[in-house]
Amino acid sequence: MKFGNLLKKELRELINAQAIFSMLFTMVLLILMGQIMGHAMEEGFDTSTITLCNQDNSEFTAELLKKLDDSEGTDINYVELQSDDYAAEMERLGLKSLVIIPQGYGESIIEKHEPASVKFVSVFQNGGIASSIGTISASDVIGQIENFCTNEVLLKNYGLSDEEIELVRTPMQTVEYTVNNGKTVVYSAAALGSVTMMQSMIAPIAIFFLLLMASQMIMTAISTEKIDKTLETLLSAPVSRMSVLGAKMLAAVITALLSALSMIIGFVFYMQGMTGSAMQEMASSAAPQTNILGSDAALQVGNLGNAMSELGLALSPMEYVLFALQLFFTVAIGLAISLILGAMATDTKSVQTLVTPLMIAVMIPFFITMFTDVNSMSAGFKLIAYAIPFTHTYTALTNLMNGDMLIYWIGLAYQVVFFAVCMFLAVRMFTTDKLFTVSFSAGGKKAGKKKSQTEDAQ
Amino acid sequence: MGTVLEVKELSKKYPKKDNFAVDKISFSVEEGEIFALIGPNGAGKTTTIRMISTLIQATEGDALVAGHSIIKEPDKVRENITYLPDEAGAYKTMTGIKYLEFMAGLFAKDSETLDKYVERGKAICGLGDRLNEKIGGYSRGMIRKLLLARAVMTEPKLAIMDEATSGLDVINALEIRKMIKTLAKERNMSFLLSSHNMLEIEYVSDRVGIITGGKLMVVGKIDELKECYQAANLEEVFERVVKDNEVR
Repeated sequence: MKFGNLLKKELRELINAQAIFSMLFTMVLLILMGQIMGHAMEEGFDTSTITLCNQDNSEFTAELLKKLDDSEGTDINYVELQSDDYAAEMERLGLKSLVIIPQGYGESIIEKHEPASVKFVSVFQNGGIASSIGTISASDVIGQIENFCTNEVLLKNYGLSDEEIELVRTPMQTVEYTVNNGKTVVYSAAALGSVTMMQSMIAPIAIFFLLLMASQMIMTAISTEKIDKTLETLLSAPVSRMSVLGAKMLAAVITALLSALSMIIGFVFYMQGMTGSAMQEMASSAAPQTNILGSDAALQVGNLGNAMSELGLALSPMEYVLFALQLFFTVAIGLAISLILGAMATDTKSVQTLVTPLMIAVMIPFFITMFTDVNSMSAGFKLIAYAIPFTHTYTALTNLMNGDMLIYWIGLAYQVVFFAVCMFLAVRMFTTDKLFTVSFSAGGKKAGKKKSQTEDAQ
Repeated sequence: MGTVLEVKELSKKYPKKDNFAVDKISFSVEEGEIFALIGPNGAGKTTTIRMISTLIQATEGDALVAGHSIIKEPDKVRENITYLPDEAGAYKTMTGIKYLEFMAGLFAKDSETLDKYVERGKAICGLGDRLNEKIGGYSRGMIRKLLLARAVMTEPKLAIMDEATSGLDVINALEIRKMIKTLAKERNMSFLLSSHNMLEIEYVSDRVGIITGGKLMVVGKIDELKECYQAANLEEVFERVVKDNEVR
């Protein structure tokens, strides 16, 4: 009854409106990000309409445009320009990109036998992924114009057949194989890499915010209890200190589990959003091989999802559980350290000072994993990086995807040991005088003086 | 009348400190008695109270609360005491009533007792409907009243209070002093108080112990001490005892 009473109180303190909002916010944010990214890329890949301005009245250009109109998947929206001020014209017509065939284009190629220019005007986007995709699709149309010109010129000048022209244009085909996790599929490594990069870059950000939120939450809760002296009241009541500590830790663990769960749910939806049809299109455009010439032992997977699953780059339910396990221990370690540090605080300012080293320990692996692969670092740096228990969770996704299970299990074991040590220290602190005698006050030498005065006053 | 608290040569030395914060102090508190520990800042009052409350461990000596040792039976000791620290707060996110229920839940063995404690707490604090509001919105005085009610609602054998009326206005402080006296007299509760307010101590206490430099210099009834030190009031007694100690 007493433990239940304590646990209820701790849960009420930790899982307050602010914490619930943070959990829901993380989950909804991830889901929305997945949807938005998927939607943005779908829009970027909408190649059905290309805006074109034809200023050339030659037969050659007319035939070129007819060919383009007849080609599948490309609708041409023709516009007329009123001036050469492209900035004003793009704004007037509300366009993002425009292909201009200038006057004399056909004459230059057919009669003068000189290279002619096609103008491509695009409004600078904010550098997002979707904006670059739009540029790629417009470039494809220019490629088609180029091909048409090559064919027409070659046909007219050298009398080659369509088949011969095709052979000259594409004398070979590249078939890309990607090997991972002991398996081979016929798919572009670059395309798969771009997808996994976008999937994995969100995980460190989510872990970072989860740790930040959970650590500050428990540190503030503990330090407030000490500063307000509610801890003294509680510990002088007929409950054992282990019950008080146990209730605090169990509440923290439940909070961590809920936080991890909210993040995992959000992450699963994020992944689903990312690997939807838009991602499929992006990967297909980056891996344009269509006619596979024999497959050897490699698997012809057909689409992105299959390729990722076959190579182990898509997480299985068990791998999600393993990721959640490391996430749980990371948060539990953060909470245990926060519990000790929070118990040392003497005022709100010292809480902020005490939380700084913890935040640095959270930030280091965050930045490392954002910019490089920890496993590819030199042995020394790798050891230092992995000495920080949080690093293992930051790299968990990559390790699970790559099948580096040894690194994963060593990481998990290290986290369990680290958590046990933190808990031992927390128990030591709660069952001895240290809870009331060890204190940290922000302000260097003054802090030491203040501490002495506090002890003297006792 | 039985002895509720018996302190026997209790000492405390903090690590990395040369002197004892509390040095072999001995005193006792009888059933229904109000005993006050007074002394200058850093004299060792709070350390003594914290040792008796089982919050920190004694270096030497022992104290028995209702016959239970603070060293060997801290759990039993905590069943017989309540402790009200100086400038203590309460859980701001809880309502006053939830706070009383939570604290009563730590002492009560069944729901019937719990309800009895809470009802008593509600009556003592006198906060009425404001008990349904969150403590975060309470004034300092309201929090102190709530904490005092919490400390006495379980009718412990020994209520330990550090600066019981700190933060209260004159009227509220007077009410609390009267309440302490009534509870001691009518409910036979014992109180161990610590305060800087000599007027309050003189009004409320049966006996006092003057502590300075970690040593308990004198213990006695206020009238006896006034006579012994030929002082007009407790403040003068306190001044003389402290000065005598400084001379030594």
